[in-house]
Amino acid sequence: MATKMKTVKVQTSNRVVWITLLIFLVVPYLVPGNIISTALATEIMISGLFALGFNLLLGYTGILSFGHAAYFGLGCYGCGIAIRDFGLSVWGGLCVSLILGVILAAIVGAIAIKKRGVYFAMISMAIAQMFYFMALSPFKRWTGGEDGLKFIPKLSLSFPFAIDLQSPIPLYYFVYFIVGISILAIWRILNSPFGRLLQAIRENEPRTLASGYNVTLAKFISLVFSGLFSSLAGGLFCIYLGYGPLQTLYWLTSGTILLMTILGGMHTFIGPVVGVGVFLYAQNKFSWILERWELVVGILFVALILIFPEGIVGTIKSKYLARRTASQEVEPVEETVSRH
Amino acid sequence: MELNATLIINQMLFGLALGAVYILMACGLTIIFGLLDVVNFAHGTFYMLGAFAAFVIVSLFGNFWLGLASAVVIVGLIGWITESYLIKPLYGKDPLYPLMLTFGFSVAVTDLMRGVFGTIGRIVPLPQIFTGSLMWEGIFIPKYRVFIIFLTLGVLLFLWFFFKKTSLGMIIRAATRDSLMVRTLGINVPRIWTFGFSLGVGLAALAGGVNSTVQSALPDMGVEMTIECFVVVVIGGLGSLGGAILGGLIIGQVISFVSLLASDWSNVAIFITMLLILLVRTRGLFGEAGRL
Amino acid sequence: MPYLETKDLCKYFGGLKAVDQVNFSVEKGQLKSIIGPNGAGKTTLFNLLCGLYEPTAGKIFFQGEDITRKKMNRTSQLGITKTFQITHIFPRLSVFENVRISAQSRKTSFNFWRKADALEEINEKTRKILRMVQLLDSQDRPASILSHGERKYLEIGIALAADPKLLLLDEPTAGMSPAETVLAMDLIRDLRDQLNLTILLVEHDMNVVMNISDEVFCLNEGRVLACGTPEAISADASVQKVYLGGTKAC
Repeated sequence: MATKMKTVKVQTSNRVVWITLLIFLVVPYLVPGNIISTALATEIMISGLFALGFNLLLGYTGILSFGHAAYFGLGCYGCGIAIRDFGLSVWGGLCVSLILGVILAAIVGAIAIKKRGVYFAMISMAIAQMFYFMALSPFKRWTGGEDGLKFIPKLSLSFPFAIDLQSPIPLYYFVYFIVGISILAIWRILNSPFGRLLQAIRENEPRTLASGYNVTLAKFISLVFSGLFSSLAGGLFCIYLGYGPLQTLYWLTSGTILLMTILGGMHTFIGPVVGVGVFLYAQNKFSWILERWELVVGILFVALILIFPEGIVGTIKSKYLARRTASQEVEPVEETVSRH
Repeated sequence: MELNATLIINQMLFGLALGAVYILMACGLTIIFGLLDVVNFAHGTFYMLGAFAAFVIVSLFGNFWLGLASAVVIVGLIGWITESYLIKPLYGKDPLYPLMLTFGFSVAVTDLMRGVFGTIGRIVPLPQIFTGSLMWEGIFIPKYRVFIIFLTLGVLLFLWFFFKKTSLGMIIRAATRDSLMVRTLGINVPRIWTFGFSLGVGLAALAGGVNSTVQSALPDMGVEMTIECFVVVVIGGLGSLGGAILGGLIIGQVISFVSLLASDWSNVAIFITMLLILLVRTRGLFGEAGRL
Repeated sequence: MPYLETKDLCKYFGGLKAVDQVNFSVEKGQLKSIIGPNGAGKTTLFNLLCGLYEPTAGKIFFQGEDITRKKMNRTSQLGITKTFQITHIFPRLSVFENVRISAQSRKTSFNFWRKADALEEINEKTRKILRMVQLLDSQDRPASILSHGERKYLEIGIALAADPKLLLLDEPTAGMSPAETVLAMDLIRDLRDQLNLTILLVEHDMNVVMNISDEVFCLNEGRVLACGTPEAISADASVQKVYLGGTKAC
């Protein structure tokens, strides 16, 4: 029988969110440019948002989308085309990204949300690949094909006040603003009754259904939120680069966001952002020296899945929890779900 | 371009040959999934390894048949090791873990091959006996494509015989349905799983070896092949061999005709096909209801 | 009118007649046990009643309403809740959250804005239930660390949080020690008396069945064998034969 235990909360406290926001606020000024350049930090924020959106689906709802590049790429191209060909402002472009993300997620959800996990993963990957090939060939006139989306006019903001998005620092803080609001929104969503429902679905879907919840609708909405934030990140990426690379739609992008999320810890809130930070930093430092960077990454990923599937933050958290409840071990969860 | 009967028949035959390779791949993927409950993201990578193995053996020994057979054996062995050390530890966990692991494995192996072979495509020379085409009344099909079709038919027959008539095959079928039961009969089920995985990737390697004369072997072709394989299996219904065959046939025809009529869309067409079929029949053509 | 009633209920799996022409009813506030050898169709019957399975033929009525075609989330909202034979909990979530999320199902769940922890009414209800199933002390631990018996209590707690009117308990004392079983019996009786629940129980432990049931209902090979008070059933010859006479019990 369980003895009287000191209460230890299993949820992430919101201190983590404020600390993260604080860190990103001061990075350009406190960290020297040769360790982390402003550009790298901007990229970390953008990919961090992508990863958080992705993890809403994976870590919280338990659904793996192996083709999330579709949202990122669609957001990127959508924003770029809206600005270049339709004369929209930066805000307009980002709105287009958001809307496209929601629409795509709704379509994918309508087709595949009821499907079993691995099936959904395969279908989502196929859909992303479809967009990749579409951008590459039949729609080359609009997307620039292999060369990517180019010739976007010089970006700047005029509302609410003039910001030159060509210089790194104003760009950084513009991205920070959008990402910051998004992080707070995601945090709010995940701590709401809906967010708890998602976790219940992840932990035990049949049970959640038995409790009377409309699980399909919940998964659908989770996908829509996920697509929304991932697409927004894509739009920001276009703004940051000033152009839209075809890579954003490629399967490697889907794989990399998965890797970074797992690296940081998919069952934690801030893990994905940590994973993004660590990975992009390492890539920045080492991919030039290491000729076989992808080989190393692949091996590390395999090792990660085998040895530390909870990632950096996840592993730290469970060690911390174990020490706080020292007299009783927190059993690792090994619910048998397959025939083995 | 005029669409007359001869042209259509030629394209259909060509599509049949294309489809045959996808059938081999999809059967391998389905066997692995059916037996191990694992979606092998590295399936295309094993295809790629098969192609390179064939290339290396043929370059060293000059014999096409040896190359083909070695491709299957070598890659089968690699599969044996992979399953035993990398995939086995994940059994019992969420099936998403093996999918993620095989993905990481693909990335690593692809880059390794890039390092060893570079990015220039390698092609295996066509054996003398297969040069030229069979022709009749304007209908023609390259001899090699005929070979591919018959080889696939042979493999399918062999698989049918193996699963229905041999004791090992029946054990595997039993283990697919109820592994616990089979274990209580004293059979080493984990060994069966390893064998099943090797068989599955052996089929992929065969497909790679067979295609090595018509498609240059490149390290990057692995993942793209995996994704195409997923499409075939989704169309046919995951877990069904019949579906794998039907899916492969459909995909072969789609690629063949779209390449002819709208070559810009030839890469995209199979995905659109998949979506259309999913809209009409959500579990794929032969998918098992309970599984999804 | 009976609270729950089935008319010629059938569930066939291919050639197997898991439930065959079952006519069965429960009155409000009753505690009725269903017994029978393994494979008799007890769990299948439960799954039909709660909407997890769709009947092959026949009808089910709850409070006069035809619920035959209704699925699980609908029947759950109508007040029929089932526990699972093999405990089905949320392993990584805390014990408190396990029950709280079930309680939340009665209210807003597509609310993205409020803090889940601030829903005081639901929290209060959760604490009450945890007190009743004696798990209040472990409320913040992850559910995966609970012992087998505790998991069974949690299972009942999760079911209670859904405000059931009719509670289907599938082998609640399976695997429990004798001491735990006694506590479980008290708990189940309390559920009927204090919470005015109607309870259907599938049980193998005859001690439990005889002690707490108002009525007992025996199934064999998908068919009703006998129905009556505990005393009548234990004296029934056909029931004795099925349990002692070596028919298909495995």
